[in-house]
Amino acid sequence: MFPGPTLLSAASAIVEIALNRALELDTAGRQALLNALTGPAQFNINAPVPLTWTLERVGEQVQVRSQPADAPELVITGRPMAFVALALGDDRVFADNRLGVHGNTALAHQLQRALNQLEPDWEAAMARHLGDLPAHFLGKRIRSAVQWSRQAASAMNANLEEYLHEESQALPGRRELEATFQDIDQLNLRTERLEARLTQLESTGSDNDTETL
Amino acid sequence: MSEQQAPGTPGNGQDDVTHFGFRNVPKSQKASQVAQVFHSVAGKYDLMNDLMSMGIHRLWKRFTIELSGVRQGHQVLDIAGGTGDLTMKFSDLVGPSGKVVLADINASMLQVGRSRLTDRGYAGNIEYVQADAEHLPFPDNSFQAVSIAFGLRNVTDKDQALRDMARVLKPGGKLMVLEFSKPTNPLLSKAYDTYSFTALPLMGQLIAGDSESYKYLAESIRMHPDQETLKSMMENAGLVNCKYYNMTGGIVALHVGIKP
Repeated sequence: MFPGPTLLSAASAIVEIALNRALELDTAGRQALLNALTGPAQFNINAPVPLTWTLERVGEQVQVRSQPADAPELVITGRPMAFVALALGDDRVFADNRLGVHGNTALAHQLQRALNQLEPDWEAAMARHLGDLPAHFLGKRIRSAVQWSRQAASAMNANLEEYLHEESQALPGRRELEATFQDIDQLNLRTERLEARLTQLESTGSDNDTETL
Repeated sequence: MSEQQAPGTPGNGQDDVTHFGFRNVPKSQKASQVAQVFHSVAGKYDLMNDLMSMGIHRLWKRFTIELSGVRQGHQVLDIAGGTGDLTMKFSDLVGPSGKVVLADINASMLQVGRSRLTDRGYAGNIEYVQADAEHLPFPDNSFQAVSIAFGLRNVTDKDQALRDMARVLKPGGKLMVLEFSKPTNPLLSKAYDTYSFTALPLMGQLIAGDSESYKYLAESIRMHPDQETLKSMMENAGLVNCKYYNMTGGIVALHVGIKP
């Protein structure tokens, strides 16, 4: 079955080397991640091809395996995009059930925090191969490109939102929607109270009837 | 190429002979002839492995480690450990509270393994033992995992070796046999045969100055039991949940069995 053991081993070796190299560039982040890995953490990717990856602390390194752990402390299951969201710091992936968690859920949150705290010093790694000046020059350019793309993405989101809400009026505004939802919640609450009151009145009425008889 | 034979029943059907490559030799002589091969290639063993497999043997061994389930504090036996590729990884996994025993019948290979591991700073949780896989010098129920990588085909009595490996495993322990096997694709099989019988002896001659040892390697692979046969041999040795994983189209297979 694709992918076979040889390919899986190659992939796990590449991920393991890349992860440990990245961790070397942020010693504080590495320590946080290693401390979070109190036991094997298993990641089950269920589509498009079912795959299982396991992270485990071995000494001062993180071991990546393409096989399930015998006794995992944490099992996280979901689709690849949900794992990407987790890695990018989206903390709603567990709450909205995009990722299922079995085992130590505290470990899942610790792992997520540790991943978010990681800030590898890529410039230092480049400097080792290219020299200080070219690495700094490239680093500056890359940082400003990343910053620009973040700003551009955020501006584009804001513009799109404004167009949909204000100009085309295709969708209601966020605050308008929130107020409507709040009203619906209030209505729901009041209906439930009324229903409870009616039930109580009914039961009181039937008790009185029994006493009269 | 010779047909696959049932284990323990070499070509002429006599009990006192076994195969050494495509030749039949007296059982008493096979160990010394295999020893000759490994004395001859020990110095260039790692380089030749990398060249012959194009580095893929590292992935086969990595998969074995991944499947081993070895953890901190475990006791592991690496039979025919040679230059210590698996031992090195096991040593990292078991940590200072565990132990790895590197066993090899061949003194030259053991010496190369010991030097290599010591040079790389591996010490403290590794023990070196010159031992015959058919008569392991360890008490019953000693290890959580036993591995033999590319060694079983050189053993004279494979059934006896498997029984002894099962004996030294703790109940619930895992035996892993990584060995050349039978390619599942006929086209790959043809290409592999051509490669093994022409390129391997040539490489052996050029790099290690010994083509005969690499001719033996190619022949011994063909004489080794195929996937299903080895699986049933492991079951006969008393192991359960036996299964195998074909790697690189079945050129190599990893067999795994559990001691009940």
